[in-house]
Amino acid sequence: MTAVVLDGIVLGLQFAILGAGLTLVYGLGGVVNLAHGQMAVFSAIVIARLIDHGVSTFLAVMIGIAAVGVLGLLIDLSLMKPVYRQKGESRVLLGLLLMLGVGFIIDGVLEWKYPIEALTIRISGDPIPILGVNMRRGSLIASGIIVVVGASLVLFFRFTTFGRATRSVIQDERGARLCGVNPATVRTVIFGLSGVLAGVVAVTRAMSTPVVSTAGVDLTIFALIVAVVGGLGSVSGSFFAGILLGIVNTFSAFYIGTYITTIVLLLAAALTIVLRPSGLLGEKP
Amino acid sequence: MTVLELAGVEKHFGGLPAVNGVSLTVDEGEILALVGPNGAGKSTLLKAISGLQPATRGSAKFFGEELVGMKAHVVRQLGISMVLQTPRVFESMTVRENVIVGATFGVTGDRPSAAQAFARAEDALGFVGLAGYADAEVDSLNLHQQRFLELARSLAGQPKLLLLDEVMAGLNDTELQASIDIVRTARDELGVTVIWVEHVMKAVMSLAERVVVLNFGQILADGSPADVMAHPEVVTAYLGTEMKT
Amino acid sequence: MTASTASAKEGAPNTAARGSATAFRDFAPIAVVAVLLALVPLNFHDSRSMMTVIIAGMLFLSYTIAFNVIFGSTGQLFLCTGALAGIGGFGSVILSDRVGIPMTLSIVLAGAVAAVFGGLLSWIAVSRSLDTIFTGIVTLAFSLSFQNFVLGRRDLTGGENGLRVEAGKDGLLDTQVKPYYVFLALAVAYLILFRLLQRSHIGWAFRALRDDEVAAELSGVDVTRYRVYAGIIGSAMLGVAGAIFAHHRGFIGTSTYSFGSVDVRVLVMLAFGGIGTLIGPVLGAAVFTILDEILVSYAQLREVLYGVVTVGLFLGFRQGVIPALSSLWDRVVSSGGRGRKST
Ligand SMILES: Nc1ncnc2c1ncn2[C@@H]1O[C@H](COP(=O)(O)OP(=O)(O)O)[C@@H](O)[C@H]1O
Ligand SMILES: [Mg+2]
Repeated sequence: MTAVVLDGIVLGLQFAILGAGLTLVYGLGGVVNLAHGQMAVFSAIVIARLIDHGVSTFLAVMIGIAAVGVLGLLIDLSLMKPVYRQKGESRVLLGLLLMLGVGFIIDGVLEWKYPIEALTIRISGDPIPILGVNMRRGSLIASGIIVVVGASLVLFFRFTTFGRATRSVIQDERGARLCGVNPATVRTVIFGLSGVLAGVVAVTRAMSTPVVSTAGVDLTIFALIVAVVGGLGSVSGSFFAGILLGIVNTFSAFYIGTYITTIVLLLAAALTIVLRPSGLLGEKP
Repeated sequence: MTVLELAGVEKHFGGLPAVNGVSLTVDEGEILALVGPNGAGKSTLLKAISGLQPATRGSAKFFGEELVGMKAHVVRQLGISMVLQTPRVFESMTVRENVIVGATFGVTGDRPSAAQAFARAEDALGFVGLAGYADAEVDSLNLHQQRFLELARSLAGQPKLLLLDEVMAGLNDTELQASIDIVRTARDELGVTVIWVEHVMKAVMSLAERVVVLNFGQILADGSPADVMAHPEVVTAYLGTEMKT
Repeated sequence: MTASTASAKEGAPNTAARGSATAFRDFAPIAVVAVLLALVPLNFHDSRSMMTVIIAGMLFLSYTIAFNVIFGSTGQLFLCTGALAGIGGFGSVILSDRVGIPMTLSIVLAGAVAAVFGGLLSWIAVSRSLDTIFTGIVTLAFSLSFQNFVLGRRDLTGGENGLRVEAGKDGLLDTQVKPYYVFLALAVAYLILFRLLQRSHIGWAFRALRDDEVAAELSGVDVTRYRVYAGIIGSAMLGVAGAIFAHHRGFIGTSTYSFGSVDVRVLVMLAFGGIGTLIGPVLGAAVFTILDEILVSYAQLREVLYGVVTVGLFLGFRQGVIPALSSLWDRVVSSGGRGRKST
């Protein structure tokens, strides 16, 4: 029982960081990044290739995360420009379709060039008992990293000028512009940051399960579910939803069975939208 | 005969009352002007009647039938038609097509045939003076014409009660006179009852038979134009500043 | 209105005459498309693989028209095209092979089941007033749930091994050329249905609510009802198309109706051709079927190129090709009178 909950939290933290990356980009510019999972896999494969070539794991991880961050910046600076020129529903639709295309491209390249590549980061050492449950070191380190990253995100948005600027753009783009914040710059930086978060997903996930080159679509779907349940645009909501869904996931997998589990998660997302469109923590409609 | 009977109508936005207990009886064939300062709740009251923004509390009866809780299209099909302060037209359609939608769906009873709806749309366009624009795209109309397109779309459904929200703002004298005539003819020839929000005092004085003053969501005065204008509270609350217009 | 009876009498013959003129203009494109597509097998009838490709193209044309009824006409982003077709496909196969209902009836029944699901999804979306993106996510969740259900309920669906289909083995749907014409007939029927909808009062309601929901409600259009109509009609079309395909193919599996293999392509085909237009789906299905065929030789690169083409197309033709062409056409003939906005 405790073991199931702890496993759920470990998984949930990964869900959380996955959802956070997607939710930030949506909150700022209305773009549903349907290539988010593929971006994570991209970074995983970069890291795996570097390690294959003898680069030290730490350096490879740093380069891989930086690479996907740059990828995010580039996507925003090129493809997203015409999207941001649109308004309302047509912006959402164009952004979604373009990112769908980008997802194909990344997926296709990876499957074409590196069909059997996978990233595994082995953390050696004995399991550590927590609340009487033996937890694998890899899982614990991964969770530790996510907690640190998540806490830094919260601090960043609370206490730095740029973080506050970001929040002001999420709340009211026009108002932010009047206060001297340039929404375009904020969006670009945040798209890059979202890429970095995708990289963090790849690395932390690889500490417990291999991240294979075809995992992109599934990761995108999980990101979407988490972001929706947490409330699109809300990072803290993503963390809450991620952990909740992680626990639901392990519980349902443990007590019910696998295919029902996914359906339970999906229904959770659908129900959230239908009952509380602004997310579990958001205001009632 | 009583067309509309409001009893304690309230509309709150996040706890703040925009309309705060309005009770009012409107008789058939009346032209009632609803006046009051900006933010008094006039538009909100009309939207509450028409079902666009359902009332939070109270009752609104149309020929005895309760409107609160009805969706906007049902209210329209009962015979209450509204023209919004900011016109909302169908952008991808021509002027005539806009009116055909109203003639097809916004009617009481059975849906008319295509030919019937077409004919009614033509009539309504002629009535508001837009016959010459029937085939034009709506974005070639100015704001004033778009309001009258909405009026035509309303009339095409042969309503019994018209709710007009500041349709005469920003008109020159000739246009204003033409608009006043249209509304009066609608009442005289088509037998429509009119509730009409207006800022243009000249139009109110010449067209309205009854004036209701709304302030902070409540009725401040109700009577003939002359009586209401003489009402001391009205003068201080509202007319003192705006009468010159 | 006092004058209305008089001018109604004048108006009626007038509109009737115009009616037959517009009827010709409205249905002629469908006839042209039908004739052109009927000629396609003349070139390919002895190539089994080409016939497979063009039958798939035809199937996707039907899917895309159906999706166009839902998304193009009423703006509901249904990301469960494949799942609804799959409900039709698996449903019809289970009904005919397991329950023993005659194939034709089971296709109709399965279509009805898909219609019920689609109508429900639509009703949920409309009554909770979900916007495009939320409708998309809810239907995507439905779509993925269906996929997981197919994977999990092996006893019914064969799971990852798929399901052999017995009904339809011999007859109209067997082999290649005859089924092509069955699918062509289906697609043409769908085009005609789409046009009939456009011309009816339902089409007026669709246009009105697409343009402005509030204005539509104010004009007396029951927005909820017509959205749900679109959901029901489009889903029934999807279910029937998916079911006929199952009986033709003789085998259905998890990827036959998956999000990746159906929805994505349908969305791209429609957006490319022109959302809400009659001919857009024809053009989209044709172009992407040909593109797929060209890319077959570069199997590994296929997904990449597909992505590149998708991105390129949406950057270039944001409204779709048919609207772009028709506005060009309007400019060319603008001396001769106003162009029509709808195609
Ligand atoms: N959708 C809304 N949400 C919140 N407040 C609103 C909304 N619509 C109107 N209000 C508020 O209700 C009050 C009355 O507005 P309105 O009816 O438009 O006034 P009027 O038409 O008399 O100028 C105003 O204080 C306005 O700010
Ligand atoms: Mg107002």
